[in-house]
Amino acid sequence: MTGTAYSGAVRARCRDPRRAGGWPDGTPGVGTGERGSLDAGAWTRVQVHVADGSNVIDDARFRVFGCSAALASASWAADALVGRSLDEARALGAAAIAAALDLPADKVAMAALAAEAASEAVRDWERRMGAGDWGLGPGATAVGAPGQDSQATR
Amino acid sequence: MAAARPIYLDHQATTPVDPRVVDAMLPYFTEHFGNAASRQHVFGWKADEAVEHARHQVARLVGARAKEIVFTSGATEANTLALRGAVQARRDRGAHVVTVATEHKAVLDTCARLAREGCEVTVLPVEPDGRLDPGRFADALRPDTVVASVMAANNEIGVLQPLAALAAACRARGVWLHTDAVQAAGHVPVDVEALGVDLASFSAHKMYGPKGVGALYVRRSPRVTLEPQVVGGGQEQGLRAGTLNVPGIVGLGAAAAMAREGLAAEMPRVAALRDRLLAGLERALDGVAVSGSRTERLPHNLHVRFAGVDGEALMTSLADDLAVSAGSACASGSREPSHVMTALGVDVVDRWGAVRFGLGRGTTADEIDRAVACVVERVTRLRAMSPVGAGVRA
Repeated sequence: MTGTAYSGAVRARCRDPRRAGGWPDGTPGVGTGERGSLDAGAWTRVQVHVADGSNVIDDARFRVFGCSAALASASWAADALVGRSLDEARALGAAAIAAALDLPADKVAMAALAAEAASEAVRDWERRMGAGDWGLGPGATAVGAPGQDSQATR
Repeated sequence: MAAARPIYLDHQATTPVDPRVVDAMLPYFTEHFGNAASRQHVFGWKADEAVEHARHQVARLVGARAKEIVFTSGATEANTLALRGAVQARRDRGAHVVTVATEHKAVLDTCARLAREGCEVTVLPVEPDGRLDPGRFADALRPDTVVASVMAANNEIGVLQPLAALAAACRARGVWLHTDAVQAAGHVPVDVEALGVDLASFSAHKMYGPKGVGALYVRRSPRVTLEPQVVGGGQEQGLRAGTLNVPGIVGLGAAAAMAREGLAAEMPRVAALRDRLLAGLERALDGVAVSGSRTERLPHNLHVRFAGVDGEALMTSLADDLAVSAGSACASGSREPSHVMTALGVDVVDRWGAVRFGLGRGTTADEIDRAVACVVERVTRLRAMSPVGAGVRA
């Protein structure tokens, strides 16, 4: 039962997983990206929120099921996305996440899950923006304020 | 909630050395520094006397005779000597080895290497409660089986194996039974004579002794003969060459004596604390599953799975408050759940949520209550960010 030796940055993220949480599907202004699978032991969802008429991510959230590296990567990525333009968000790569968290080489795949989920979230936002589709059918009720879902885990 | 030092609940990984053990060891570093093999002067005699005293202490703990105890560098070496030594010594009989899927890697990896070298190895599955079915075990024994290896208590889930029944099956067929008794010795009664095992491995640091010293019990009657794995000096009846680690051996002996004295009182004390821990977790949290048999287990082990939570992430998030072990390790991006969880047939997603709590001699009720509070808080927090249970199934 030996484990991985993690950096202080990873341990701090696990202690205090900033930006945990998410918005319900179809929340206006929110793009969602997911990568990984539960059966494989690592799954990451990143959500970005971009205000109407803006090109800058003003909030980001994550959910994760996985090891410490997966959790820390998703939390760090969500933090890093806020304030970025969509182009800058797309450029967020696994290497940057792994370097910031000083991940062991065999854990870079966990950073890749977060980076790919983030890119997918941006693409999802753009797709929905273009299609005007936020998944809200007629009569859909207003969803909670962005981040409300995350309060319990902050 | 953070304490100055985390609460230590990882006693299956290692234990602190009892101060009385340290006191017993200290003179053998300085005043009585002799080589136990120096038979020609008092320095050697003093060291040899201490080693033989320790041999008796270890033998008494496990119901053996002193001559049946061989000191080693630890249990991994003892397991190696038992298995490789038996295979090499019994070539005339055959080259078949039987073991179990939930064994420690020290046994499984040794068996895998034996298989690469030409042995046939049968790895038996366990029942969902982690126990080996004696009937299935007996069926696996063959005329060419030289040795079987079944641990006394599992290092992850703490489940005890029905050694006496297994030993009877082995004895009837002329197969030697080795047991890795590292987690059991000093924590539950282990009597090699009553059980009928032929070889048994022990380690000092799992019972409040020092690291780097252990022992192998080698039955004298009926005689078990092994091929040594470390040669050059003839120590330990020719079974394990090398200058004896006298302070370490003294520490192992003292630890064994203390464990024997304290066993009857410590078992119910620590079992009550373990039950308090489980009750506290179950009271506050849903989705808490105990791994393995609830009755046939070590009193100081609790292995649980928290649904929807990754045990490794939980362990890291707890690290400031609580030292525990997670049941999985990852490598090269592809995560591997514990081989024990896999062998138990635990649902693939639930395998990731495993955490082992190992209670010890110093564990108090107050520590358990604080540990429960920490774990409940962290599990709740991790679940809030987990897709499992939130209707998401990737």
